[in-house]
Amino acid sequence: MIARFRRRLPHFSAAALAGAAIVAAFALMGLVSLLWTPHDVTTIDAGARLGAPSWAHPLGTNHLGRDVLSMIMVGARASIIVATMAVAIGLGLGAPLGLFAAASRGVAEDAVMRMSDVIFAFPALILAILIAAVYGPGAMNAVIAIGVFNIPVFARLARGAALSIWTRGYVLSARTAGKSALRISLEHVLPNIAPVLIVQATVQLSLAVLAEAGLSYVGLGVQPPAPSWGRMLADSQTMVSFAPWLAIFPGLAIFLFVFGLNLLGDGLRRRLDPHREARPA
Amino acid sequence: MSAATKAGVMLRLLFISLIAAFLPAKLHAAGALNVGVQLEPPNLDPTSGAAAAIDEIVYANLFEGLTRINEDGSVAPLLAASWTVSDDGLIYEFTLRRGVRFHDGTNFDAGDVVFSLNRARAPGSTNAQRVIFELIDDVVATGDHTVRIRLKEPLGAFPTYLGWGDAVIVAAESAATNAVNPVGTGPFKFQRWRKGASVTLNRNDDYWGARPALDQVNFIFIPDPSAAFAALMAGDVDGFPNYPAPENLALIERDARFRIVTGTGEGEMLLAINHARAPFDDIRVRRALNHAIDKRAVIEAGLFGYGAPIGSHFPPHHPAYVELADRYPYDPAEARRLLAAAGYADSLDVTLTLPPPAYARRGGEVIAAQLEAIGVNVAIRNMEWAQWLDQVFANKAYDLTIVSHTEPLDIDIYARDDYYFQYANDAFDAVIADLRGAADPARRDALFKQAQEILADDAVNVFIASGPKIAVWSKDVAGVWANAPLQANDFTRADIAGRAPLPAESAGAPAALPIWAVFIAIAGAFAFVIFYSKASPAFLAGRALSMAATLAAASLVIFMLIEVAPGDPAAFMMGLNADPAALAALKAELGLDQPLPMRYLDWVGGMLMGDFGTSYTYRTPVAELMAERLWVSLPLAIVAFAISTAIGLPAGLAAASLARKPAGRAIFGAAQAGVAIPNFWLAILFVMFFAVTLRWFSAGGFPGWHVGLAPGLKALLLPAFALALPQAAILTQIMRSAAMETLREDYIRTARAKGLTRKQTVRNHAMRNALIPVLTILGLQFSFLLAGGVIIENVFYLPGLGRLIFQAITQRDLIVVESVVMALVFVVIMISFLIDLAYALVDPRLRQQRSAS
Repeated sequence: MIARFRRRLPHFSAAALAGAAIVAAFALMGLVSLLWTPHDVTTIDAGARLGAPSWAHPLGTNHLGRDVLSMIMVGARASIIVATMAVAIGLGLGAPLGLFAAASRGVAEDAVMRMSDVIFAFPALILAILIAAVYGPGAMNAVIAIGVFNIPVFARLARGAALSIWTRGYVLSARTAGKSALRISLEHVLPNIAPVLIVQATVQLSLAVLAEAGLSYVGLGVQPPAPSWGRMLADSQTMVSFAPWLAIFPGLAIFLFVFGLNLLGDGLRRRLDPHREARPA
Repeated sequence: MSAATKAGVMLRLLFISLIAAFLPAKLHAAGALNVGVQLEPPNLDPTSGAAAAIDEIVYANLFEGLTRINEDGSVAPLLAASWTVSDDGLIYEFTLRRGVRFHDGTNFDAGDVVFSLNRARAPGSTNAQRVIFELIDDVVATGDHTVRIRLKEPLGAFPTYLGWGDAVIVAAESAATNAVNPVGTGPFKFQRWRKGASVTLNRNDDYWGARPALDQVNFIFIPDPSAAFAALMAGDVDGFPNYPAPENLALIERDARFRIVTGTGEGEMLLAINHARAPFDDIRVRRALNHAIDKRAVIEAGLFGYGAPIGSHFPPHHPAYVELADRYPYDPAEARRLLAAAGYADSLDVTLTLPPPAYARRGGEVIAAQLEAIGVNVAIRNMEWAQWLDQVFANKAYDLTIVSHTEPLDIDIYARDDYYFQYANDAFDAVIADLRGAADPARRDALFKQAQEILADDAVNVFIASGPKIAVWSKDVAGVWANAPLQANDFTRADIAGRAPLPAESAGAPAALPIWAVFIAIAGAFAFVIFYSKASPAFLAGRALSMAATLAAASLVIFMLIEVAPGDPAAFMMGLNADPAALAALKAELGLDQPLPMRYLDWVGGMLMGDFGTSYTYRTPVAELMAERLWVSLPLAIVAFAISTAIGLPAGLAAASLARKPAGRAIFGAAQAGVAIPNFWLAILFVMFFAVTLRWFSAGGFPGWHVGLAPGLKALLLPAFALALPQAAILTQIMRSAAMETLREDYIRTARAKGLTRKQTVRNHAMRNALIPVLTILGLQFSFLLAGGVIIENVFYLPGLGRLIFQAITQRDLIVVESVVMALVFVVIMISFLIDLAYALVDPRLRQQRSAS
């Protein structure tokens, strides 16, 4: 069964498939949590406070008697949504900017690149903390804070990749045929650089999950009572010596999800963008 | 000597100093008491602001007033040996103590009293209790050591007010500098303030009264409850007068090293209600809220059971206390009925604004759940203190909020016009007016009782609990206050068993190295790289120009981003009950009344001249603050950098050259796992394992470089590893792929073909060439480590730049945020410039390309 499955996906390594499985599991967990969680994550059960992992609560309960497994399930939502939207902002704004820079060259290109330099010059985390702190904590501002830093990543990548496409013969023939720069960018350049962008998006997704966790940890992410992995860790810190499960499981969730995304990204890179890192010969 | 061997020598030196760090460190100075406190004060002048954190350090220890408040709340003479009151209660005659000297050697006399009280009530005064001092008609020195004070109206509690921190006696000569170098008459004198870390007081050997037993008191700032617990376990502090993490108390109770001292506190925890907003002007709605909340459940979750339910704004230990806790018993059905009667059955949306303390955040979740249960939709908004003070306290833009009022006997706040509850009741105001003039204790008690009942009847707020003052002390500590009649920690009578007296302080701690040393180092690095890179002048000029443009753009972005932020730094600095006139005076002093473009130009112009402005909260130059913090952040980044490089580069090379062997795959797998670990999680696990369980390291804190290199490095080791390991994993991956790429090059095959071993090939050919792409990452890494310490510095409460930014953001100390972020951006841009040049250094091909173009 597995062998047959492997045969149908010959270009993906076992590690990449495992990564895809982990990511899918977390996505599924987030979806299921919309309909069902083992326990309600908003009610308070004073009788079940600080319970160690048990049959009723496989990952234990926190100081309010809330079920850690249920909170991790709901927390996956915040993580996935914030990270995905942040990367979408980066891709949606950055890639067109990069394409535009590559197509127009000259002053416009300089302006775009200089702008990315400015954003790059900010230490990413400080920028995110600054935005979230200045405009108030919350999921939307976390998305913006993380997203802003993704724009120059995609702009640079798209520009660099697009520049090499522009030197190709088929672009030259398109130009001589009188196609506009916009049409060439959309019809020839974009399809050719899409694999690079997709690979990078996976990488950025895992970075965004880490960034979201960091922001939540310092209290600038999704606001309570909605649970988030980072804040669960922050809350657990005072209780770590007698309720270690509170610190271990949310951290493991972050780790596993990011790990899965990285494995998947690696696999995608080998499949879609073999030039950047070929397999050892 | 090749670059590689140089790096090797550096690494070895670093390794030796790391080993030295394991030598036993003596953290405690003998005869010194280390006290953990939650908040760092904005300054050390108790007459300039309401911040409780100031009094917690200086009251009774450093500054003294005419009278003082004892542990039981009673008033006793202090700098006034005695006093008399006229029959109409308007004229007070004080006889002052003789032979009292300020810490700077000047004598204390009637002139200082006149100066201090006049300063407090002057029109431009920033004293937080100016309203009370304005009731003074005049103050006259009737002799060297006698003073007569005339009041505008009788004020029964006047001697008590004189015992507050706001009324301490200061000298005219030193009043202006008390914020940073306080000079008082108390049993301890100011020694040093390490911003973000601690304040040290030394015994005053010239004290007029009984000399304290302690040689030294160190107040160590630990804002984070978990860090507080860790510091206690690690023995970094001898105790906390106010222990911030009640959830750990059960554990501490079982630990033979500590004792828990519970005393009565003055704090009333409230669910405050905004009466000016519908529907909260309807008493049925307010009563419904009161019935909806199970105070005991809130106490259990928010205060971990440490608190007693109350029913009005009054502490239970006071003789005039009326038991009203069950005036509105927990009854969700009744609450629903009242809401329906008011016309809000199942259709009420409210916001619940929560300040940062754990009681508010945790209690807030419980209250939200209880309100949801009666059909109220609650949206929780978490805020930093500065935002809370601005939006809730100053602008009254809130529905409900949770806060603890800790000022003693402050029931009169409900009579204030325009206070943030927006409560107005003439009958209540009349009671408070009577109370002002009443000196007779029995009459005062009767009025207090009446006031409590009115507040309960009107269901003004949901009065939840009176929290006890919970202190945790090492068993060795004796003579500390159990009760807290005011926000103060008197260590005059404190002692520690089994600690030798402190040797005479050596010439003082070496001052932090000046910030220009850093700039010289950077300039040196530049000169070196530029000289060796042989880059063309045109190339250099071009890069320098674009660097300047980037810096200018960045400065504008930072300034705009921050200046439009909500929140008023002056309001935050002045504390909860500040008077508006005092606030305006402070704003003018800080230059906050200037227009935006002026402030921007001032800021940029100043930075060009090396002046980063003056911190709003610390009242010290920002450059000085940064220089201090830099000596924590920079070494932390360097150590982390060394660790991640020392692990990442060899691991990456090994993974590349053993790519098809199990060992290579194992390294690769470990690196892939490593990049996925959030560094703060790793930090928590490290604290859990190395500090709490094994006790090899202290859980955090930084002793300062003046105690020696080894203890300093030791304190940085755990945070550096937590910061470095995920980075090392990234580096391993990059090194591996770079090396694998070079290993496929033709010249490698040639080298192998001519008979070199695989090892020789890797060392002599592959590594050098693979280093080129790795260089970029190394540069980025250093910037990341320098800035990325923000969170790690918070987990380990290291007083570094990251924490400086964080504290400044919460204190709305805009100029500090701007300048530190700008400095970090500057470093990042410099490093990327250096790397650009360094490319040319390692790769002659690039050099040729550039001079050709």
